[in-house]
Amino acid sequence: MDLSVGLSCPSCGGAISVVEGENVVICKYCNSTLFVEGDSGVYTIAFKNKVVRDSAIAASQAWWAKGLKARDLKRVGKIVECYPIYLPFWSAATRAAGWVCGYEERTYSDSKGNVRTERVPKEAMVLQDYAYSEIACDPGDLGIRNLRSLSGETSFADFEMIPTFEATTSKDDAIKKAREEAISRARASANIPHVTFERLHTFPKKLSIIYYPVWVVRYSYRERMYMNTVDGVAGGVLSGRAPGDPLFQSLAVTAGSSIGGLIAAAGILLSEMDWRIMIGGLVGGAIVLYVFYRFFRHGSEIVEGDFKERGASMRDVMAEVKDISKQIQGAYR
Amino acid sequence: MTTISCPKCGAKVGFDAGTKFTKCSYCGTNIYIDRSGAGFYYIIPFAVKENDAVGMFRRWAAGPTKVKDLDRLAQLAGVKRQFFPVYMFKREVNGKEQVSVEPAGSTILPGLHSLKIPAGDLKIYDASFDTSGAEIVQPDIEMLPYLNQLPGKAKEQALVYFPVWKLDYVYNLKRYEVVIDGSSGEGFASEFPVRGSAAYIAVAAAGFIAFAAEGLLAIYNLPIALGAMGLTVVGIFGSALFVARRM
Repeated sequence: MDLSVGLSCPSCGGAISVVEGENVVICKYCNSTLFVEGDSGVYTIAFKNKVVRDSAIAASQAWWAKGLKARDLKRVGKIVECYPIYLPFWSAATRAAGWVCGYEERTYSDSKGNVRTERVPKEAMVLQDYAYSEIACDPGDLGIRNLRSLSGETSFADFEMIPTFEATTSKDDAIKKAREEAISRARASANIPHVTFERLHTFPKKLSIIYYPVWVVRYSYRERMYMNTVDGVAGGVLSGRAPGDPLFQSLAVTAGSSIGGLIAAAGILLSEMDWRIMIGGLVGGAIVLYVFYRFFRHGSEIVEGDFKERGASMRDVMAEVKDISKQIQGAYR
Repeated sequence: MTTISCPKCGAKVGFDAGTKFTKCSYCGTNIYIDRSGAGFYYIIPFAVKENDAVGMFRRWAAGPTKVKDLDRLAQLAGVKRQFFPVYMFKREVNGKEQVSVEPAGSTILPGLHSLKIPAGDLKIYDASFDTSGAEIVQPDIEMLPYLNQLPGKAKEQALVYFPVWKLDYVYNLKRYEVVIDGSSGEGFASEFPVRGSAAYIAVAAAGFIAFAAEGLLAIYNLPIALGAMGLTVVGIFGSALFVARRM
């Protein structure tokens, strides 16, 4: 079997050129319309890298100074390496269309304390296009999974110079995830609390690979190597790891235990009015304590972005609190 | 760069790991690279130098789940660099593309729970690739048995070598091993000295209980309660600082 296959028009024999991802080609010699069979690949675009080394470093150093990172980071931190890479992302446009039917329950109570529940039937038509993006290789320790903005100037000019990470995940897996996400977003957009019937269809419209320029910045802090990434189109920091500061950790637990403790005390004191206030106060106080405790326990390293472990950042803590409350709700039901 | 001969004019045409279509620069023929019938060797070059790998280990060791000051107390006993092999198969199953990664060797990397192809710049591995002295771990499982078992039609199959730094360190007379991905810097370990949470929990719980009690006291005697709260703030802050720095 030959590894390389020359592409020529089956009717006139002229050389034809196929753009990856397109499956209809017109022969420029005899105008035959040809269909590409088999592996036609995926439409590929690359965004122009608009950030230069100095501005990637400047963005990183500005990021070091922000937030609850080690106070001496800006002074002690030293850039060791700073280089651009192209990261591959699946970018899929999916149309979702269909109907969601169900009802909403409204509870009324009158002055005599009678409670009346009313069911309001609802139906909603959904017709919407959704954009989905996901990294097309293993994310490694870069802390990037999805892109927030998928716009930029298209250009393959730097493609030879910048190391390009190869797409190693399946395109059909990406389409499947894009469809699932389109369904769940369409369902959410219908805004119906209790769904009784639903028929939603998805139509994958376009799949492409976007090569997105990202600067990897590695820096040292007290003999340790940390990193952060900078968006090669917009110029901001996308993700990163940075040393924390024991001072902020201690302030966090002091604030958390005082606020949480006082909320709990207020709950206990007001329990004479309604026992539910006491439960609310204790639970509310415990949640406040937990959020601050997380920072106290894990705040020696500040992690921003989509890394595998959950760090001490507010977003990660809220995700964990949500998980726990879901579990409690599940057990309660 | 690796080359193939143009099927029309025979000139050498360069191509890379991700290339599907390319153009002969002599005769202008468009060439499709059919990978379905061949086995490829790919390799991801090192992006992390030895000093940086040690620095990444120190960062990893200073993380909040590792025992306090592990980055300073761990004694490095060895740093090795290796190219580790895995198989990558792209198949078409019922019209859908499926990518699977299978082991190529009987040795496993500690802490790498599921095999994967780490993020990196895939290159075609041939004589022109400079391994710069890194050990290449030879696969001891053949590709053929997988090919006979896997469902669907072949699109591509490759042996992929990815770069790792293997670091051995000693802590409390015990030897541990960490693997640092030589391309993205991710750290893997199956076992490491763990930092306990007890001291952290004790400080947070003590503060919470003390403040709740002082809050209750406040409606009976405000000045005493406020004074006690002030002392608690100082006490909690001091002990928290001690715990965060030392434990």
